[in-house]
Amino acid sequence: MIFDNILLGLTNVFAPLNLAAVAFGTGLGLLVGAMPGLSATMAIALLVPVTFVMRPETGISMLAAIYMGAMYGGSIAAILIRTPGTPAAAATVLDGYPMAQRGEAGRALGISLTASFVGGVMSSVVLLTVAPMLGWVALMFGPVELFAVAVLGMTIIGSLSQGSAIKGLLAGAVGLLLSTVGMDPITGIPRFTLGNINLFSGIPFTVALIGLFSIPQALRLIERDEVEAERINSFSDRILRPWSEIRELLPTMVRAGLIGIFVGIIPGTGGDTACWFAYNEAKRASDDKASFGQGNPHGIAAPEASNNAVVGGALVPTISLGIPGSSATAILLGGLMIHGIMPGPTLMTEYAGVTYTLLWAVLLSTIFMFVEGVIFTKACIFVTAIRNKTLSVAIVVLCVVGAFAINNSFFEVGLMFAFGILGYFMDKLSIPVAPLVVGLILGGMLDVSLHQSLLMSQGSWMIFLKNPISAALLALALFSLIQSTPMYERWKRERKARKEAR
Amino acid sequence: MRHWKRMLVMLLALSVYLCAGSAALAAYPEKQITVLQGFKPGGGSDTLAQLTQPYLEKIVGQSFINQYIPGATGAIAWTQLAKTAKKDGYTLSITNTPMLQTNYIMNPQITYTIEELEPIANVVTDPGIIVVAKDSPFKTVEDFLKAVKENPGKVTVGNSGVGGDDFFTTLIFEKISGLKVQMIPFEGDGPSWQAAMGGKIDASFNNLGITYPQVKAGNLRALALFANERYKLIPDVPTMKELGYELVSGSSRGYSAPKGIPEEAKTALIEAFKKLASMPEVIQGAEERASILDMKYGDDYKKMLADQEQEFRGIWDEVKDEYQKK
Repeated sequence: MIFDNILLGLTNVFAPLNLAAVAFGTGLGLLVGAMPGLSATMAIALLVPVTFVMRPETGISMLAAIYMGAMYGGSIAAILIRTPGTPAAAATVLDGYPMAQRGEAGRALGISLTASFVGGVMSSVVLLTVAPMLGWVALMFGPVELFAVAVLGMTIIGSLSQGSAIKGLLAGAVGLLLSTVGMDPITGIPRFTLGNINLFSGIPFTVALIGLFSIPQALRLIERDEVEAERINSFSDRILRPWSEIRELLPTMVRAGLIGIFVGIIPGTGGDTACWFAYNEAKRASDDKASFGQGNPHGIAAPEASNNAVVGGALVPTISLGIPGSSATAILLGGLMIHGIMPGPTLMTEYAGVTYTLLWAVLLSTIFMFVEGVIFTKACIFVTAIRNKTLSVAIVVLCVVGAFAINNSFFEVGLMFAFGILGYFMDKLSIPVAPLVVGLILGGMLDVSLHQSLLMSQGSWMIFLKNPISAALLALALFSLIQSTPMYERWKRERKARKEAR
Repeated sequence: MRHWKRMLVMLLALSVYLCAGSAALAAYPEKQITVLQGFKPGGGSDTLAQLTQPYLEKIVGQSFINQYIPGATGAIAWTQLAKTAKKDGYTLSITNTPMLQTNYIMNPQITYTIEELEPIANVVTDPGIIVVAKDSPFKTVEDFLKAVKENPGKVTVGNSGVGGDDFFTTLIFEKISGLKVQMIPFEGDGPSWQAAMGGKIDASFNNLGITYPQVKAGNLRALALFANERYKLIPDVPTMKELGYELVSGSSRGYSAPKGIPEEAKTALIEAFKKLASMPEVIQGAEERASILDMKYGDDYKKMLADQEQEFRGIWDEVKDEYQKK
């Protein structure tokens, strides 16, 4: 039965119209992903009414392809202009931009594309084979478990702030503090909104992200003297990477892919969270931690593999249970409703034709992403040839348009500039921005899930230890915390020394 | 009797329409109509827009442009509608209850009120429902009520968030029954029923249209409806009314304009919605989405909003201090 459906989907997806829709969707995804401020979620939402005139499987496949394409597209801007094109590419900036600055932009983009491809293929295989069995994982994560996930995520701050732990923790704390702005979701009391209703729903994460990364970059480009030789006028290196390099990065990509699938399945977390988890794990597994942030290829491969893996992961509970795994899949479900398909468990049975076509389309879109990605990336080469002073103006324009487009609000343009100024001074004081971003992403989740859990337990904190999943995650967080302290490093060194002495 | 009155009103409206000079009237609408959406694209308001607007466009012969201004549970869009939108009938907004009223009842910093709006038509109402996991010990609503009675303040009940319909349904339920549950607010209907389905909470006060696919698939069990009558697709689920609790609630979505739009624009819009409600495609479309059409026009809609406002204000004044202290 399932096998029949898989075959049915495979034959459906190769219908010329479906192929065209997937190819078009992937290309559009690359484009919106590469534009800071335009996100996949937005593009999908705006195109839902367009799918009204298509067959349901064609329309939904196109929307899923946008999602996939945007996940790679986001890294192009991250690597070339140090501005994440999508929130899911924020971690890619850390190593992608330094590598491009070394004159290896082609290599950085090639690694990103390959990693995106690996992550995408992994998640679509999972989707095609074990999705019905994995859907229940989404139900296992309630407030208590989500709190533990958020705590585990917070330990990333420790590893992102090596160099100056104090400055990293400061940035993380500022991020957490900013995440509390807005109406308290449990009591409904507005916090730190200064009486301005534009702040009632909190600080829009994407607005903060655009400001923090892009405005300082634009200012940096203006400050810097124009040195002709400093600019990279062409990709001296190939986008298609040699097998030897890919082989070395493959374990990182696979690990990141698994993280991405898992984070995707958990409702309420998506690519913006997964990329940090994956980056952190890649750094933890590496022997050469100091080179992270200086253009380490593993630091590009990990976030990029994970954010594409999120696409398939987020679709697992979506198609098996009708529970969206991320905001983009929530809109996909809405798109199905337009076609009179009720999102829910019947997707796998009653509407198997549509669903399995979609699953194959996800796999197909990774292949299109790779092919179109090579061409599109080569076209983006012109960015590196633009004079710094021109480029910086273009970046600011993109930021303004992006910040406005998110909620059609001028207030948010101002907010974006405020974050830009904050980012600029953090940069001058060499306070890392990444921990602030992590604090801002996870702060809301931490706050809400903690409050909900304590309501559920009538105020007892033991609820976090009684729950096996949360207890395990919290233990992992404790271990991760110890690992990032100087004590652990010393202990490891001493152990090594003892071993050598023996 | 009521029927006749309505006919008379319509006749009067029609004669006013004819007398007021057909030149000006035939003109509306002469350009596209903007619909302010207080929520993100892809959400419930957007679903309503996609159910109605393609047909409204055909009826009035002008296009409807959606403008998404999400934030502050719709309050940014509604403030704009009430305070700054041109009162020419070319700017409307999708108005959702209870958030339309609870926003300003609960937050003094939100300053618009329904007095500043011209309600055009309510379109759908999604009644409240109590759902539990399929393996929950609560087989019937009596089991649930018994447990709540025996463990005051211990049974965990999810809702879609502070100020939402399920939140107020729970408060009204507590008031009417004299019982106490442990309310757990979530960020949206989805996380609330998912927590119930995963057994994280004991029950979720939710909405029929939202949970129906899971109820139909047997993943969730519906215990009771907060509606006037049973729903034909789940005929075995009783209403709270049958059990002696005068509790009818849910969330409604319709269209409103700013107060002070030209009378002819208002009449033309109401007429358009009346035509809409009789179109078979719309009726079928609503059924496919498990949405219940609940058409109320003009003054009827205005009265519905005002009655609700009074009810919510009363409840909130009573429980506010106790609730926000927690």
